[in-house]
Amino acid sequence: MRILIVEDEPDLLASLAQALREEGYAVDTADNGEDGLFNAEGTDYDAIVLDVMLPGLDGWEILKRLRKTKKTPVLMLTARDQTRDRVKGLDTGADDYVVKPFDLAEVFARLRAIIRRSVNQTSNVIEIGEVRVDTAARIVSLKDQPVELTAREYSLVEFMALHRGEVVTRTQLYEHLFDENESSLSNLLDVHVSNVRKKLGAEFIATRRGHGYCIEG
Amino acid sequence: MGDSMKLFKSIKWRLQLWYGLILVVVLAGFGFTSYQLERNRQFRRIDDELHRRVGVLGNAMHRPPPRGADGGGLPFDRPPRGQFPDDGPPGQNFRPRTEFHLPPEDAHFFGTNDPNGFYFKIRVGGGIKPGVQNETAIAHSDNYPERQSGLAYDYYFEQVNHVEKLRGKEVMQPVVMNLAEQRVVLNTLPSGEIIEVGCSIAPELHELNVAATKLTAVGVAILILGLAGGWWFVSRALRPIQAISTTAVKIAAGDLSQRINSAEAESELGQLAAVLNSTFARLETAFAQQKQFASDAAHELRTPVSVILTQTQMALGRERDAAGYKQTVEACQRAAQRMRKLIESLLELARFDAGQEILKRHPFDLASTVKDSVELVQALAEERRVKLVSELLPLSVIGDSERIAQVITNLLTNAIQYNQPDGEVRVKLEAQGNLAVFTVADTGKGIAPEDLPRVFERFYRADKSRTGAGNSGLGLSICKAIVEAHGGTIEMASVSSAGTTCTVRLPIND
Repeated sequence: MRILIVEDEPDLLASLAQALREEGYAVDTADNGEDGLFNAEGTDYDAIVLDVMLPGLDGWEILKRLRKTKKTPVLMLTARDQTRDRVKGLDTGADDYVVKPFDLAEVFARLRAIIRRSVNQTSNVIEIGEVRVDTAARIVSLKDQPVELTAREYSLVEFMALHRGEVVTRTQLYEHLFDENESSLSNLLDVHVSNVRKKLGAEFIATRRGHGYCIEG
Repeated sequence: MGDSMKLFKSIKWRLQLWYGLILVVVLAGFGFTSYQLERNRQFRRIDDELHRRVGVLGNAMHRPPPRGADGGGLPFDRPPRGQFPDDGPPGQNFRPRTEFHLPPEDAHFFGTNDPNGFYFKIRVGGGIKPGVQNETAIAHSDNYPERQSGLAYDYYFEQVNHVEKLRGKEVMQPVVMNLAEQRVVLNTLPSGEIIEVGCSIAPELHELNVAATKLTAVGVAILILGLAGGWWFVSRALRPIQAISTTAVKIAAGDLSQRINSAEAESELGQLAAVLNSTFARLETAFAQQKQFASDAAHELRTPVSVILTQTQMALGRERDAAGYKQTVEACQRAAQRMRKLIESLLELARFDAGQEILKRHPFDLASTVKDSVELVQALAEERRVKLVSELLPLSVIGDSERIAQVITNLLTNAIQYNQPDGEVRVKLEAQGNLAVFTVADTGKGIAPEDLPRVFERFYRADKSRTGAGNSGLGLSICKAIVEAHGGTIEMASVSSAGTTCTVRLPIND
């Protein structure tokens, strides 16, 4: 899962980014409106955390322009908790909002929720054959036994599970699992796929040669 | 009881009561006077007629009866009128007549069978004359009414005696009296006969009754009209008070947007309403500003609190090395510093608002204060590659030099921060009349015209973002409060993309 954070307060941006990375997300950051919009338009993020008060373009303006081209789920960070601000945010195309000051746990939960909704998933738990993916607890189990996965492996499983039945291209995987600062060595992905197959069974991820990978529903 | 007390305490009722009372007194006085005047007029007319007839009868009595008309008439020595002594004891020279017939030429003075006409009776005796013991009627007109005439005589003699006693001698004055519906005059002739002339005053009394009824009716009508008119006028005059009271109640209940709706701006109450309305408007503005201020202050605290919360929650999420914790603690410290600065600024403004900020008042050289501030920001200017140019005229002002230094440093810092690299900040201190004029001009990108009037507003930021460390959005508000507390003014002028000039004017200490 790859997330963009647009926030101008450096300490807040740093802590949010680090916390989300530790949650296993690939995180890109922007500290002003123009950069934020540029990133948001150029990459298929799984979600965007967008502050309202920004130098340059403000959050409402970014949202308005972004909605012309992308349906990326957006979580707004607002300092004003008045109803009209929330209504304005939701009406402009935000998927959810969090009022400052917020708890990290709430931000994580809301991010999971908007990502889930964006792929038409209603539950935190996805079951594929004997494999069970709990996206809230970030635990994958096989035949009711928890399976040890690295953060990157978990992200791969989660992303594939959320897009079950679809063919996911390697480019898509690179875009969603790695942030802009990581060197995307092409065989790194193969290593992750092969590790996941070892842990969850070879048939869990099917290879569509020339297209990408797929988890059969 | 409570209600009636309330009623009497109401201005409307008290006014009504007072002028009702005055109206009643005036109308009653007027009515009574008119009635009396009319009554006197009527009676005077009747009395004149009666006296005239008494005179006529008196004259007739002194004339000898026409020949052949009265065979049994006694020889009667009629003295000339002029010789008859008015104050002499009557009845000594003449004997009273025993018989009298009204001469035909005088008959028209009296009615014959008309009960409402004038009538007369002449008699002798009845106690007034010591020589005549027996009361004897000599003559009377045909329409002389049947009544107890004794009453009239008793009253007459009483009056006559009274007059006698008063004057100490016997004077025969005619006496006028009312007997039932009769007006009667009695008079004693020098020869001793008592002439009684009277007439019915029933028509006059009836007329007077009608007049009294009319006067009362008119009086009552005027009173009702007056009270109704007064009620209407007082209600109208007091209507603004009602409006004021209604509005004040609503405002007291918390709806500050209420205003008194008064059409009568001309009257004193209308003016009062206008004054109250402007007071309410100022109150509402002040409340709104206070509310906005509190909400803005809370809003400003949200971001640093968010930093502390996310930093600590993130740090506590898992075990970290010393460097990781240090980073978190440092971020928290920065957020706390920011909050401290904000709180200090808020308190400072609150003190200025409450008029509690105590400023020192001593004369100091403004030029040297400016020079110190310029030196203070020199490092920042060099870092931003901004050139500082100053042109200072030594001028003494009275006030708190530390506070003024705070204003100057703040303005200089803004001029440097919002400048562009290789820009310039010109600081100038000069005298204009009795004002010390301090200007800071930068070569930055300027302030948009729509933002310019609002730069001194609390929490107002032209760039709508929080960037710029320590920019609480309160700096210029505090500058304004300080300068105004010194009796000075501060203003901002800007030319887009050519720079901003801030001017502070303070009174010079002569």
